[in-house]
Amino acid sequence: MDVDDQVTPALTLRGVSKRYGPVVACDAVDLTVRPGEIHGLLGENGAGKSTLMKILLGLVQRDTGTIDRDGRSVEIETPQVAADLGLGMVHQHFSLIEPLTVWENVILGDTGRVDRAAACAQVEEVGRRYGLPIDPLARVDRLSAGERQRVELIKCLRRDPSVLILDEPTSVLTQAESAELFGVLRRVVQAENRAVILISHKLAEIISATDRVTVLRRGAVVFQGETSETTPQLLARQMVGREVSLQNESAALGLLPVEAPTGGHSDETAAPAAASPPTPAPAGPPALRLHEVSVLVGGLPLLDRLDLEVAAGEIVGLYGVEGNGQATLGDLLSGLVVPDTGTVEVAGRPVDLNRPGSMHEAGLGVVPEDRHRSGVVLDMTIAENLVIKSLDGVCTRGVLSRRRMNRFAREKMTEFNIVAPSPDTPVRSLSGGNQQRVVLARELSAGPKALVAAQPTHGLDVGAIEDMYLRLRRAAAEGVAVLLISTELEEVMALADRIAVISSGKVVGVLPTAEATAERLGMLVGGVSH
Amino acid sequence: MSAADNIATILSSGARLTVPLAFAACGEYVAQRAGTLNISVEAMMLGAAFGSIAVASATGSATIGLVAGAFVGMSVAFVHANLSHRAQINTFVVGLVLNALVLGLTSYLITVSSFTGHQVWQVDVPVLRDIPVIGPLLFTQRWPVYLLLAVIPLTWWLVERSRWGLELRAVGENPQSADVSGIQVNRRRRQALLWAGLLAGLGGAYLAVGEVGSFNQNMTAGRGYLVIAAVIFGAWRLRRTLIGCVVFGLADASRLALPALGITVNSQLLIAAPYVLALLAMLFFATKDHEPRALAQPFNRGTV
Amino acid sequence: MAGTDAAGRRLLNRLNPGVGGWQVGAATVVTVSICLGLSALLIAATGGSPIAAAKALYQGGMASQSAWTSSLLYVAPLLLVAVGACVSARSGFFNIGQEGQVLIGALAGAFVGLRLALPGPLLLVVVLLAALLASGAWAGLSALMYRFRGVNVVVSTLLMTFLAQQLVAFAVNTPWLLQESRLGTGVVSPQSNPLPENARLVSFGQFPNLQVNTGLILALVVAVALALALARTRWGFRLKMLGLNPVTARHAGVKVGLLGGLALATSGALAGLAGALLLTSPVGTNRLQPGMSLNIGWDGLLVALVARNNPLLSIPVAVLFGVLRAGGGFLAATGVPSILVDVVKALLVLAFVAPPVVIGMLRRRRPSGSSGTPTTPTATPTPTGPAPRDGADAQVPATDATGGPTTASTRNVMEGRPA
Repeated sequence: MDVDDQVTPALTLRGVSKRYGPVVACDAVDLTVRPGEIHGLLGENGAGKSTLMKILLGLVQRDTGTIDRDGRSVEIETPQVAADLGLGMVHQHFSLIEPLTVWENVILGDTGRVDRAAACAQVEEVGRRYGLPIDPLARVDRLSAGERQRVELIKCLRRDPSVLILDEPTSVLTQAESAELFGVLRRVVQAENRAVILISHKLAEIISATDRVTVLRRGAVVFQGETSETTPQLLARQMVGREVSLQNESAALGLLPVEAPTGGHSDETAAPAAASPPTPAPAGPPALRLHEVSVLVGGLPLLDRLDLEVAAGEIVGLYGVEGNGQATLGDLLSGLVVPDTGTVEVAGRPVDLNRPGSMHEAGLGVVPEDRHRSGVVLDMTIAENLVIKSLDGVCTRGVLSRRRMNRFAREKMTEFNIVAPSPDTPVRSLSGGNQQRVVLARELSAGPKALVAAQPTHGLDVGAIEDMYLRLRRAAAEGVAVLLISTELEEVMALADRIAVISSGKVVGVLPTAEATAERLGMLVGGVSH
Repeated sequence: MSAADNIATILSSGARLTVPLAFAACGEYVAQRAGTLNISVEAMMLGAAFGSIAVASATGSATIGLVAGAFVGMSVAFVHANLSHRAQINTFVVGLVLNALVLGLTSYLITVSSFTGHQVWQVDVPVLRDIPVIGPLLFTQRWPVYLLLAVIPLTWWLVERSRWGLELRAVGENPQSADVSGIQVNRRRRQALLWAGLLAGLGGAYLAVGEVGSFNQNMTAGRGYLVIAAVIFGAWRLRRTLIGCVVFGLADASRLALPALGITVNSQLLIAAPYVLALLAMLFFATKDHEPRALAQPFNRGTV
Repeated sequence: MAGTDAAGRRLLNRLNPGVGGWQVGAATVVTVSICLGLSALLIAATGGSPIAAAKALYQGGMASQSAWTSSLLYVAPLLLVAVGACVSARSGFFNIGQEGQVLIGALAGAFVGLRLALPGPLLLVVVLLAALLASGAWAGLSALMYRFRGVNVVVSTLLMTFLAQQLVAFAVNTPWLLQESRLGTGVVSPQSNPLPENARLVSFGQFPNLQVNTGLILALVVAVALALALARTRWGFRLKMLGLNPVTARHAGVKVGLLGGLALATSGALAGLAGALLLTSPVGTNRLQPGMSLNIGWDGLLVALVARNNPLLSIPVAVLFGVLRAGGGFLAATGVPSILVDVVKALLVLAFVAPPVVIGMLRRRRPSGSSGTPTTPTATPTPTGPAPRDGADAQVPATDATGGPTTASTRNVMEGRPA
């Protein structure tokens, strides 16, 4: 598979393995990255990409294997060593420190004397060279997502890394910003002969932006080759390990790109939705209605007079790029955020937004985006987590009945296929898929009129994803209004009857799924309403 | 006595009472900027006060005593730092225990031993000291006061201008990101605590070998908590923190001096004033902006 | 302000009994031995006899029925403070202001007891209730400051301790408030008049036999009742949920500020009741005095720490601390200052608190196997990380919620406002 070996690879990994207890995160991984290329690293959630990169950055120590840098064997013991070896990473999250200024962030992690003037000059110089304009004196908490990404890039590039690693860099960017980013990367690679490792799960991105691609599956390399010689279908097959045929799987894997809007793709996408039971005519009040909901923070709107209706028995997909108000909306519907203006109605009745628990009482179920944060209590048991919203059902005059709790838990564990030794198992020890099932079991067994599922398949494996899709569809078939908040277009297209597009905290358009072409959605996402 | 003399009396005793607070506050400020809400500053000061007198008594040198006090403060800080930023025991628990331990230990030791009194020498600039009001204030202080005048800008420079300070602030604001940037979060926090221990030690030692020349049981009498109040009153800015120390010092001085001048004041109110002021500051001033966002949040890379 | 909830929750997590099993037990035996050894060393180094000191402690604290009588007098207030501390720590609203709350309770009790002329035991009941309510409200102020202005609970409860001390000092120095009345030409001390007989707690038993004050019975009833309530009721369930994950708790309909505030107030109220016990039981002089709290507030908090926030475990620990206190009075005869027991207590707390935390940390560090540098634990999957079965690709962002970010958002939740 290796071709033109005259060039010394920038980075060679041979047989790198890493175990966490019984779990193999990386299994004898071989990886070769050459200077002057953008190397795509593709894999599902849990395939071992992050662990591999942490090994390269000195955040995690490998168990076995060798790493060569420019042909010399190296040990990367600390992040400092990684930096000295010219390995730089642009992290997806948690990298900038908000109250500090741009220049302070940029020089963080350096050593030696702090020279503010030099740092500022360097920020500007690097910014000019790569087309990343930014004010070095600005405080980071005042910057937009795109600008923060620029700071991250500058921070990385100014160290002159010969291998630049980007972890899901486009997840918070608009399409225009993504295009700009890939433009910068191309310049970095071609003009300066650096190597770029692009971690992504988006096939379209990998196909359009990389030179070569490595696919990881369950910690092992299953494919490595020239991007130009592969197809999205081939990569998807390698990534999953079997032919991708199910519509929802391809959706989950991001197979169908927005960026390459061939008519065929979107037609195919629309087909199964059309085949699902026809959208019931909305009779009476919608099961869930948000009216002119605004949430302001420091004068900036996170949600901006958002209007949305979901009828009983319908799945509405709320689609948009991450960071356009979805998290705030999810928190609002979870009762964690009180809107400044606007109303939420469930089955025609307004909900008291100031009182905790009122959403639940009104008949609104929520599968939150971040289940560890607001979905479960990790240190409580399955049985306890199943009743946290409906304690009255297992209490007599304020006294808890463990027996009733456990009986209820056993029923739900069977019904929702929650795999665990007993109802007394702490939720912390469950797999992500089972944790998510606990949440879903709790929300659905309350008999909700409407169900909000925010990124319900994030971090789940394929089996759990299929399960989730099945249950969401079934809930809708039973008359529950389902609001699916998702950043995966394909997931939305596969599940939703109608698609609402959110941009800058507003619903900028609603289309029946059958009419939603990639172009139309793309325009809406970019903020173009007509 | 004339009014000016009275004012001069209050000012100079206020200054004397401010000095230990200001020393310790410079340290506490650094610890809090790094994310440690350090409540063992009381233990650091008290231990240092005892240590300074013990060593001064043994060596006959108040200056050596002062240095020993700083060392004791750092020792307490070292224990605190390792228990809470290495062994990951809750910082408040560690603080409470250390305060109780040092109070018990010093009370015990002072009961079973006896020390001779020692005081550090006093600077006395001729002519200048005769300027009314400010003369005695500025030119007849014991030498550690002038050390404090160096410590303040040094602290500011360390936090705001040095690489160490930049990393400290990063650690106090967002330890996860700091970690990703290759900064050793808990090491920085331990170092910040050591700095806090050093300065709290100087402050506590000054209390003993500076002003009084001897040690008595529970000598600090809650001054450490006053220091915490000062940093909060100062909204995590050095200048305002020091203003807080001066205000607290003056309140203390007034309590002692005003009755002698025939002015009746409520001494309980004056003692309580600093705490009330700190609470009011948190309640009514916009202090949030400069509060370290990871204040009192432990960092353990494994749990993030 | 950050950290209040986090502090309490971490505390709860780290002090969770049963975390380490036998290893923690064994390590605790070792650390307690070290603590006792250090104490003995201290005594020996200062010319005392450790054995004589231990004998004195034993004799003063538990050798005779009358020794037990005086030990148990301390146990009652210590236990009340400790049980309250358990409640607040479990809710994540960590209260460290018990010392002041004890004083406020005593102040309110003394005020009511000396001003109201009520018949028989009714006066006692009113005194106890007044102490309970006043201290509850006092601690509730911290909850309000947190709820509306985000003031860190640890800081506010701590600072308010010093306010409470000055309030009491003010009250007993002010003739129109609670200062004792002048008898003839006698000197007036900063203390109140003694409480009337019918405002005092009765004891059962006769000297030199064991005497049990009703205060102890009250404290035991409270401890057992709260232990049951925490384990078996909806309230206890919600409190646990709040302490472990305030965001989910709010999502599940818990009124975070209210429940946590009430936990804080409960904790304060129990400390106040302890103060009333100090006032109305024979442990003191039945007068309000500035120093009458006898550090019971601080010590009670330490009891809860040793008992790992378990109300039932607090009972034996409170007994131990009570014995040390009563025994401490007998130390002086051996030439060892009685303050020694304070050193021993502080060391004991460390001996009990450290093992589960340290063992938990070692256990987390060990699986990484490789040469983790001692300064920073290497990143390994931990109980708080995503479950391994979720996929080996640890820490996907969506599951990255148990560390700092949660607490940041928690703050907003507590205040009911978005980030």
